[in-house]
Amino acid sequence: MIEIEHLGITFGSGKSQIAAVKNANLTVAEGESYGIVGESGSGKSTVLRAMVGIYSHWTGTIRIAGKPLQGKRSVASRKHMQMVFQDPYGSLHPRRTVDDTLSEPLIIHGLKNREDRVLKILTEVGLGPEFRFRYPHQLSGGQRQRVAIARALILEPRVILLDEPTSALDVSVQAEILNLLSALRKTHGLTYIMVSHDLAVVGHLCSRIAVMNRGEIVEEMSEEQMRTGNVKHEYTRQLWTASQGYDREALATFKEFV
Amino acid sequence: MSQSSLGHESSWLLADTPRNAFQAKCQRIYIGWLAFKGNPIAMFGLAIVLFLCFVALFAPWIAGGDGTTQDLANRLAPPSAEHWFGTDELGRDIFARIVWGSRVTLYIIFLVSIIVMPIGLIIGTTAGLLGGVVDATLMRITDIFLAFPRLILALAFVAVLGPGLENAVLAIALTTWSPYARLARAETLTLRNSEYIMAAQIMGASRIRILFAHIMPMCLSSTIVRLTLDMAGIILTAAGLGFLGLGAQPPLAEWGAMIASGRDYLLDQWWVPTIPGIAILVVSLGFNLLGDGLRDVLDPRSSGGH
Amino acid sequence: MNKLETTGFEAEAPLISVRDLHVTFSTPKGPVHAVRGVSFDLGRERLGIVGESGSGKSQTGRALLRLTAGNGRIDASRMMFDGMDLMKANAKTMRSIRGSRISMIMQDPKYSLNPVLTVGGQIAESCRRHEHVSRAEAKKRALSMLETVRIREPEKVYSLYPHQVSGGMGQRIMIAMMLITNPQVMIADEPTSALDVTVQMQVLSLLDDMVRERGMGLVLISHDLNLVSSFCDRVLVMYGGRIMETLDAKHLDKAQHPYTKGLLNCLPKLDGRHDDLPVLKRDPAWLHEDGLSGGASR
Repeated sequence: MIEIEHLGITFGSGKSQIAAVKNANLTVAEGESYGIVGESGSGKSTVLRAMVGIYSHWTGTIRIAGKPLQGKRSVASRKHMQMVFQDPYGSLHPRRTVDDTLSEPLIIHGLKNREDRVLKILTEVGLGPEFRFRYPHQLSGGQRQRVAIARALILEPRVILLDEPTSALDVSVQAEILNLLSALRKTHGLTYIMVSHDLAVVGHLCSRIAVMNRGEIVEEMSEEQMRTGNVKHEYTRQLWTASQGYDREALATFKEFV
Repeated sequence: MSQSSLGHESSWLLADTPRNAFQAKCQRIYIGWLAFKGNPIAMFGLAIVLFLCFVALFAPWIAGGDGTTQDLANRLAPPSAEHWFGTDELGRDIFARIVWGSRVTLYIIFLVSIIVMPIGLIIGTTAGLLGGVVDATLMRITDIFLAFPRLILALAFVAVLGPGLENAVLAIALTTWSPYARLARAETLTLRNSEYIMAAQIMGASRIRILFAHIMPMCLSSTIVRLTLDMAGIILTAAGLGFLGLGAQPPLAEWGAMIASGRDYLLDQWWVPTIPGIAILVVSLGFNLLGDGLRDVLDPRSSGGH
Repeated sequence: MNKLETTGFEAEAPLISVRDLHVTFSTPKGPVHAVRGVSFDLGRERLGIVGESGSGKSQTGRALLRLTAGNGRIDASRMMFDGMDLMKANAKTMRSIRGSRISMIMQDPKYSLNPVLTVGGQIAESCRRHEHVSRAEAKKRALSMLETVRIREPEKVYSLYPHQVSGGMGQRIMIAMMLITNPQVMIADEPTSALDVTVQMQVLSLLDDMVRERGMGLVLISHDLNLVSSFCDRVLVMYGGRIMETLDAKHLDKAQHPYTKGLLNCLPKLDGRHDDLPVLKRDPAWLHEDGLSGGASR
């Protein structure tokens, strides 16, 4: 479904040039849920943003369902891939009702039966029709994230990119959103790429996980490796250990990976 | 929270689940109004502005005359029961002229607003969103306008266009829009990288759509606030032009021009220039207080949380 | 002056002792009770306060410094710190306590640091405000403090502005700034939730050192039950402004309260399966049950 080969993105020029992503390769099968973990600045979100075309100056190849992506996208091609952002407070336009937010993609893509579609998607993400005319400030964080998921889903895409979708939420809400995401994947046969700093969250939703550090994919873990901590790369092991909670002894062995 | 005690209309306006887009919009405005209402100083400003509108609307009935009838036998009469604010050097009733002058003031305010807001918003948001050469060009033009002192530039425009109220308005508008463009650009720059703009991009929204449907509504409120706060300055510039004889032409009653022609009598017949001065002061103050209150309600930074 | 000679915190009097703390905010929609009857003691230990957003955990921390926002009111039958009732302390006393004897670290260093001053300057300033030392001495202390919080090039970092440092470094700088005055109590409100896991651990180990070496009392406020329980000695679990349960951090599995259990269960586990996570069901009765705020009885 998704093939990424030799993806590279650099920002800035001259001396201040930073390679955000270096030679990233990954393949995701249709219906698979793929995770990318890494710390801030590892380039994990940059990969997603290159995929959806927020950044257009990348090098390498990105193929979706066999078709290579160009830097410039046609409006129609955007339908197949949507994204859910981290911050449910920042990803909804504060002056627009839920209805405005959900109708807009339909208007842009000239889809009919807007009202039916909006009501259907609201039910699907676990919000009732009573949420249709609310403003974001009238919603809780979890409800906002459900609206953001609904917005991504309403165009019926095949791939959804999840950029830390639960890291701004309370754990109990996080559980609800994770359950919703895995249920939606099953019913719609969606392909996910999920980016997170939280190994446990990615491990819960994804079957394979790439570990990124400083723009490079250092290792790809299977679900099994993830569960047992039987990983090859030292950086991965350190990340795994840190995710287990505070451990003074283990901390002494931590080092910087450059 | 139970709202049943607030009556029927407010339960519609405060219902947790609005049934349609119209109700949702009304609720939004109503909640803003509730916040505004809680600020007595802003309400005082609003009262002044509404009073100005009322006076302008019913000027023929309130003034009791057209304000241009001369009565040379009765010139420079002090305030009395017949002439509440006295008469000027041509024996015209100052009260009537103040009342008629409110129309001129409102006219200036209205024209300046409908010219300045769109120009400032479009130039600022376009520059901010597109960036690069467009941004640089538009902002340098803005800088040029920003560099001149307002009254001097307005004077130059009026000198070219010829004196008259419409030209004065045009001159004021042309000298006023630049800060709005800067404001709108600055706001666009912060909005441009927000996730909801990215989300709109990802779903395929065109730049025009992002500009008009996403960014402009966010910049609108701060522009309105700024305009209300600037209103006092606009009124004063208009009065200044009037004072210099470059704005409204006689016999049209314009407060600035009234001060100008009355300034010779300041010491002996103080009411002739003082009354229009007070009128300008009160209206300017009203707009400033209103603007302060609006800022608390509308400004995304102060009302962003809840 | 009972300074920092300490051995085993259990025996001695608590650093902070709070009984029946209430924080109420007046809003246009009526009063909002953020904290309702919280009681606890803090010794020379690592005390965790865990709860979800809106549980009142942050307001509890702020109330200790009487930093509640303007429309809020604090009530408590007592709030003792070092033999002083903070409820009765005047504004001047509170100012002298804040920052020098009880410090607070917030989640986002960006809002706590002055953007137009260098970070080093701010640390030195903080030092000079609480102790009368020369500029050179303050700078020296600031530099050594930066080293203590494991910043590798203190001289270079000293002259940076807040926007030039990363989140993790910013938080270390905040900690340096708070520690330079040698406080007896540190209140850390989500000090690490904006940081990467490995950096998070390093920041926590700094706080850990301060508790062990300086005998400081630490209140760690966080939403992350796992993290808090692996770091702290005791954990207070808050919900709806009340303490649901006080737990020994080592024995989290012995949690009795359904809320604590629910919180633990809905966390995705590293070694977990891909089934649906159990969703936390909230019981309105938790907000009304009495006698649950048993934090006072240690």
